[in-house]
Amino acid sequence: MSTETESVDLVDDATVKNVARAALCAALTGAFAYVSFPYPLSPAPVTLQVLGVFLAGLLLGPVWGGAAMVLYLTAGAVGAPVFAGGEAGIGSLVGPTAGYLWSYPLAAGVVGALVHGRSVGPLGAVGVPRLIGAMAVGVCVIYAVGVAGLMAVLGLSLPNAVLTGAVVFLPAEALKMAAAVGIVRSDRLTAA
Amino acid sequence: MLSYTPGSSLAHRLDPRTKLAAQIAFVVAAFAHTTPGGLAALTLLALGILASAHLSPYSAIYAYRFALPFLLVGPLIEGLTLGGFDLTRAFETGLASYRVLLILLVSAAYVRSTPVRESRAAIQWAVPGKPGAFLGMGTAFVFRLLPLLVADLKRAREAMNARLASERAVHERMALLAVTGVERALGRADGFSLALRARCFAWNPTLPALTFGRLDLPALALAAGLALSALY
Amino acid sequence: MIETRELVHAYDGARALDGVSLTVEDGEFLVLAGPNGSGKSTLIRHWNGLLEPDAGEVLVDSQEVSEDLVAARTRVGMVFQNPRDGFVAATVGADVAFGPENLGLERSEIDRRVAGALEAVNLDGRDEDGVGTLSGGEQERLAIAGALAMEPAHLVLDEPFTGLDEPAREAVLDHLETLSTAGTSVIVVTHDLRDVLGLADRLVVLAAGRVVRNGPPESVDLSGLGVRASC
Repeated sequence: MSTETESVDLVDDATVKNVARAALCAALTGAFAYVSFPYPLSPAPVTLQVLGVFLAGLLLGPVWGGAAMVLYLTAGAVGAPVFAGGEAGIGSLVGPTAGYLWSYPLAAGVVGALVHGRSVGPLGAVGVPRLIGAMAVGVCVIYAVGVAGLMAVLGLSLPNAVLTGAVVFLPAEALKMAAAVGIVRSDRLTAA
Repeated sequence: MLSYTPGSSLAHRLDPRTKLAAQIAFVVAAFAHTTPGGLAALTLLALGILASAHLSPYSAIYAYRFALPFLLVGPLIEGLTLGGFDLTRAFETGLASYRVLLILLVSAAYVRSTPVRESRAAIQWAVPGKPGAFLGMGTAFVFRLLPLLVADLKRAREAMNARLASERAVHERMALLAVTGVERALGRADGFSLALRARCFAWNPTLPALTFGRLDLPALALAAGLALSALY
Repeated sequence: MIETRELVHAYDGARALDGVSLTVEDGEFLVLAGPNGSGKSTLIRHWNGLLEPDAGEVLVDSQEVSEDLVAARTRVGMVFQNPRDGFVAATVGADVAFGPENLGLERSEIDRRVAGALEAVNLDGRDEDGVGTLSGGEQERLAIAGALAMEPAHLVLDEPFTGLDEPAREAVLDHLETLSTAGTSVIVVTHDLRDVLGLADRLVVLAAGRVVRNGPPESVDLSGLGVRASC
């Protein structure tokens, strides 16, 4: 019996928990892509996807939050319908929204690092200004890389890329940050 | 929605690594040859690839309909100038948009013809060690968990609407819905990790076997040709 | 054989198990009952090393659990409450294969075990079905198949009948009886003893982290224990 079982390299308990949470955060980011709220300024409805990116950083910290978003991109690339509009495939990773998608691991890592530093502690101990500041930086990362993506993929000039890809969406991002602060301050979430 | 469908088409019988290599080569070629002639040739190839997966161009385009506004807006906004409409500039951006459409079509063929266990094996072949194991297994988990969480959010939204949540501000509704989503997800995380541990979740499991077949050789040659064409 | 000796387990200082000693014989059909919070789930989680004892020891087939977790988790198959949260793959066949794959078995052996486990719970031929399309009873049976694919000597089921209608419940009971007859120890954790007592060799009742009853089902007096013997 033991000769057979010695070769099995069990994943240790703490890592199992992080892997499970990373997979759930990746899936939740995908599930948020299915929830849209009507928003007057934008041509397309606003989804909660970016909220998933924030939450990955807030709940899992910089390392596992970033890993969760890499997992999100990988699963989407091979066919899990997790991108906006239920899209999937490598095409989405070089499509018009490529820049935004590629920025997610970085943004989750940045949010996680600014909120937690190196070790992930309870969110209740983090002040609201710090939460909002971290997410504002995260939004900047997402839109900077997103606009660069529009320029590279569609050949748009910088002003046009900023206009179509950022300016019209930014007010909605403020709403999502307000929502994210509401979430991490919620009494219903003590497990985080 | 575009998803894997069991079948016996040519694309279904190819090794997932071949299909991934072909897609990447197609992307490289499309970015290198964004000219009317180059894109015309790639259009024929893309249609051939779709046919090899028994997928009609219409359903592939429909699957990516949310990307279409972006692809249309690009040339329009670039063409607009203070003095009128600059056709040359719009045409250039139009070509860039069109190449993206072709790439999307090609990736639709992969999604339609490749089951998750094969993708997972290809991921772990390409990314060695524990990072690869994390991405491979994690991908399988995401496929499993996504429908659960989508259903959670749908139920939460219905319950909110039934209690007239529409009277509240948008960010409050977002927060309420997202809290429920996160709460369910974290609740499931505990049960999920328990099940993983009980079933000996390991770094070194037996992977689905991948073998290149006779069909893969010409497909890989095509992919290599595409990639090399980018140099000229 | 699963031997539990003087087992103590505390969560944040509160004792969930307060010196439990219990031996499950090979091939035995045992029902573990008790009110909510009596320590049932905590006890079974020690049998495959999901929890570590604060005091006392647990031996599975004469080997201490903590010495070889893989062996313990292979010998003791576990089916959790709400099996839906424990499925790890999108399709039936892939989920059942998860355990044997982790053991590093040959592909042909994995295929054999998956086929055998699915047949044992009447889900054969359903490999490619999505786990989300299964009914509640089928999900419970799939979870059992996932545990059986490890070829355990002992099978533990935590509240397997929750949310099942009468036919689904009977189907699960039938499969458990077959397994037990074939020599697998079956331990059913439940607060609802309908029907299952007829199959049991022994009934053990926990209350406040202690064994308060232990004997053949017909001889155990259930009065005042918060356990339902019938509808």
